[in-house]
Amino acid sequence: MHVREFAEQAGKPGANLRVGVKGGGCSGLTYVLDLVEEFGEEDKVIEQHGLKLGIPRKSYVFLAGTTLEYSGGLNGKGFVFNNPNAKTTCGCGTSFGV
Amino acid sequence: MSAALAAASVADEYRVVIDGAALFDRSDVGRLRLRGEDALDLLERLSTNALTELAVGEGISTVLTSNKGRIIDLLFVLREPDSLLVLTGPQTRAKVADWIEFYTIVEDVVIDDVTDETTMLSIAGASAAALLDRVVSPGAGDTSLYRSAPVTVGDADATVMRTDFTGAPAYDIVLSASSAGSLRERLIEGGATPVGAEALEAVRIERGVPVSGKELGEAYNPLEAGLKGIVSFTKGCYVGQEVVARLDTYDKVQKHLVGITWDSDALPGPDARVVLDGKQVGVVTSAVRSPRLNSSIGLGYVRKAQAAPGTILTLELEDGEVQASVAALPFVPSP
Repeated sequence: MHVREFAEQAGKPGANLRVGVKGGGCSGLTYVLDLVEEFGEEDKVIEQHGLKLGIPRKSYVFLAGTTLEYSGGLNGKGFVFNNPNAKTTCGCGTSFGV
Repeated sequence: MSAALAAASVADEYRVVIDGAALFDRSDVGRLRLRGEDALDLLERLSTNALTELAVGEGISTVLTSNKGRIIDLLFVLREPDSLLVLTGPQTRAKVADWIEFYTIVEDVVIDDVTDETTMLSIAGASAAALLDRVVSPGAGDTSLYRSAPVTVGDADATVMRTDFTGAPAYDIVLSASSAGSLRERLIEGGATPVGAEALEAVRIERGVPVSGKELGEAYNPLEAGLKGIVSFTKGCYVGQEVVARLDTYDKVQKHLVGITWDSDALPGPDARVVLDGKQVGVVTSAVRSPRLNSSIGLGYVRKAQAAPGTILTLELEDGEVQASVAALPFVPSP
């Protein structure tokens, strides 16, 4: 639901969420969220709750088993990653180490 | 050669480093070429200094840190038109390349280790600029500090960087290994004096410059190693940033890199202990007889409580103990 809201707010109604990992961030690796009209050939696509999620294949090894939740708590709204591969996480929650 | 003659030889070479045009072969410094549009951004996210504003032809020092804020290596990053030239410590190039490679996931970054196919010759001293102008390329000696200039040596492209690593004007020339022999001969014919590693080590220790494998490694963080000047506390996240920021904010740095002096010609062995009242409070990581100060000096880490200049401690030499004193760095200011 929240993904569709964001897509509309971003002027990309119908866009899909792409979740990846890049090097850097306090703990070594950082989550990357993008709204994309189409997935790339290298993306692994997962469909759940009527929503398509793309993951670049090189990122998948770091994200396998991860659940993505939306939090509207006091610390601010946003997506929260629960990543079983993360041995360490940093305070801001967007960086992790394996 | 006797010890006295060897010391005299080092003292002569040392004078050339300051007053003449000394020629070093610094090819033990690792050289990595990083290509790809994300190379600078990736290094920004992996190391301590702010790199994104680096202009073409400009270089900057930065520290590659682990997620515990420990030192992987001290790097010098030079931005060239189509790539980055990254200088690593001696013997750390493979570790640095593997480290960057590990964090290259979706980024457009290709790492080439060009250490074996290139040579790094350095010219240092008061006459270095004039020699470069005469032998390498007119105007090369005018290169500003931490800037580079493309030059042609023979038929091959080369890079001149001014790094002043000796404290006096000093230039590094990176060129293909096949062109290095003829340039070396021309530099010597032009007046350069080849200088050995011992004189260079004396200059390094006098200036308090830490090096990988001695003062730098995963046992230490950048704040302990006196590298705070190349840590950005405003640029945002990099690997280890949270730990480094916390150490600084809460003043939790436990030990400091300091100078150490003692009244004996004898030099301590590797990792010699520094003690106070029988308890170890530090370690000496590098030691040399200083030609300039005519005394034994060293670099080492001591606990924060003992790090003030003038603190009297005990140094364990191989043949006994000697009184030692903590000294401020650098021992010798830049001329």
